[in-house]
Amino acid sequence: MAIALGVLGAALWLGIAGAAAASPSTAQSALNGRSNDDCFRCHGRQNMRSRTINVDGEQKSLFVDRTVYDASRHGKLDCTSCHIGFKPGLHGAGETQAWLVTAKLTACANCHADVFSMYQSSFHGNLVFAESSGQAPVCADCHVAHNITPPDSPAFRASIDSLCARCHADQLKTYLDSYHGKAFYLGDVKTAVCTDCHGGHKILAPSNTQSKVSKQNLVATCAQCHPGANENFAGFMVHVNPQSPRSSFVVWTFYALYIMLIAVVFTFGFVHTALYIYRGFKDGLYRRSHHG
Amino acid sequence: MASTGEAITAEATPTQARTRIEYRRFNVFHRWMHFLVFVSFTVLVFTGMPLKYKTTEWARWSMDLFGGVTAAGVYHRIAALITVFYWTLEFTFMVVMVLRSRGKLLKGPGTMMFGKKDLEDMIGMFAWFFGKGPKPQFDRYTYWEKFDYMSLMAGTVIIGMTGFIMWFPLWFTKVLPGVFLNIALVIHSNEALLAMGVIFIFVHFFSAHARPESFPLDKVIFTGSLPVEHYKAERPLEYARRVREGTLDEVLVEKRITWRTYAADVLWWTITAFAGFCAILMTAFIIWSVFD
Repeated sequence: MAIALGVLGAALWLGIAGAAAASPSTAQSALNGRSNDDCFRCHGRQNMRSRTINVDGEQKSLFVDRTVYDASRHGKLDCTSCHIGFKPGLHGAGETQAWLVTAKLTACANCHADVFSMYQSSFHGNLVFAESSGQAPVCADCHVAHNITPPDSPAFRASIDSLCARCHADQLKTYLDSYHGKAFYLGDVKTAVCTDCHGGHKILAPSNTQSKVSKQNLVATCAQCHPGANENFAGFMVHVNPQSPRSSFVVWTFYALYIMLIAVVFTFGFVHTALYIYRGFKDGLYRRSHHG
Repeated sequence: MASTGEAITAEATPTQARTRIEYRRFNVFHRWMHFLVFVSFTVLVFTGMPLKYKTTEWARWSMDLFGGVTAAGVYHRIAALITVFYWTLEFTFMVVMVLRSRGKLLKGPGTMMFGKKDLEDMIGMFAWFFGKGPKPQFDRYTYWEKFDYMSLMAGTVIIGMTGFIMWFPLWFTKVLPGVFLNIALVIHSNEALLAMGVIFIFVHFFSAHARPESFPLDKVIFTGSLPVEHYKAERPLEYARRVREGTLDEVLVEKRITWRTYAADVLWWTITAFAGFCAILMTAFIIWSVFD
């Protein structure tokens, strides 16, 4: 009897704790008795795909794929958790602007205050908040608004290079030609990607002493994966283009020397081989029988 | 492939036991050395080249073959250790042989070192290609075989050194500046392309499979010996020298032609097909390199 009571008590305790953990913070929820079902009744319809709305100069589709959203990290959150300010009823472009801008820029901070403040003080955050840049990335540009995945998941890590490359295409090219980049391109998501060296939320210019890739911090950044790294080790250049003498003259010199050597050897080899085959056919040597 | 005692018993009542007098060009040591080079070089190419040509379909296919880029890296390092092993053994063997001959091996007519005759032979070959003279007569090693051997021995040092710098970057940067890591990659990658061109097209595979004298397959490195008549035509100077010195019987073997001989032929033909595949692949890479 005592055991049964104990089990019952434990089950109750766990049930309450679980329910408390599962319920999203209700402070931001303003569904007013409605549910995500009501939102998806319109925004989940295929014909919404072609309809767009202008948010900060960017055309956004009004369609949200429910299966993708439900499976995402935020799948259990109410739509209004992020689209704060929503009022039930039909809504036109004018009144929705504020909800969308909030969702895009500041809503994340309600739950993720720590990383949001890091982002705010970063190079990107500074562009957005201090210089009102419409081009610098905000949270959803990297984390994908309706398809949030855990940032250390293989799928998300595999997408990081293309996220950064939207603006930093040249750096992507040199990265992909480096040790890490080659392995990454061929499917190794454990190798260092952009954010492992530059940071994710608090990305700063290398000239900033707080930057992970500044002279002061570079050795420690390398040592995250390469314990025992020293100044020499950190002197390795990730973003170097061997084909350009302006990128690194020393590296380019070795590249140029090898290209010349290869060109000479291959050209000579091609001529020698082609002439040998030509003479072989001309003299009928290929038709002669061999004994093995 | 000298007959063993067992083979003789098994073929005790043969209906058509044939024998053939063959010239033993390579001993067991040579053949095992070549086998180690063959296996390690192939693995190194198929696990390394996908990194250089990472954007090709073939790169992904080859990585998948080895179970992904991380596993391929392990195979690459195992093959590298085999390379260190055979290089050390071969180099030691050569030094011992040269010392035992009191330096004669570096100078005599059958030497592997380059000499004046090699230049004359090369000029003679070009004259022959254009129908301006007879084909030069060769001794034990032709100039392209010497180049093949020397470029492998020297190239292995270069590609091995740079490979170990990349394998143990922390250890090497205790002394070397970080730019050596960049240089190591440029050298390793281009030396690999050079080695592959020499082995897969212009010198080695051409010499073994596509030369009029060896077409479609010269299997002597696998079997150790070849028909005397064939060798006499290929290397008349060495043959004449042995006749003159009375040492011909040292290298003549009586080879039994059994079903094993034909079974082995299946293997040599498989290798020929594989060599053809590698040559086509290599050609595609060279074209890719030029237009990339």
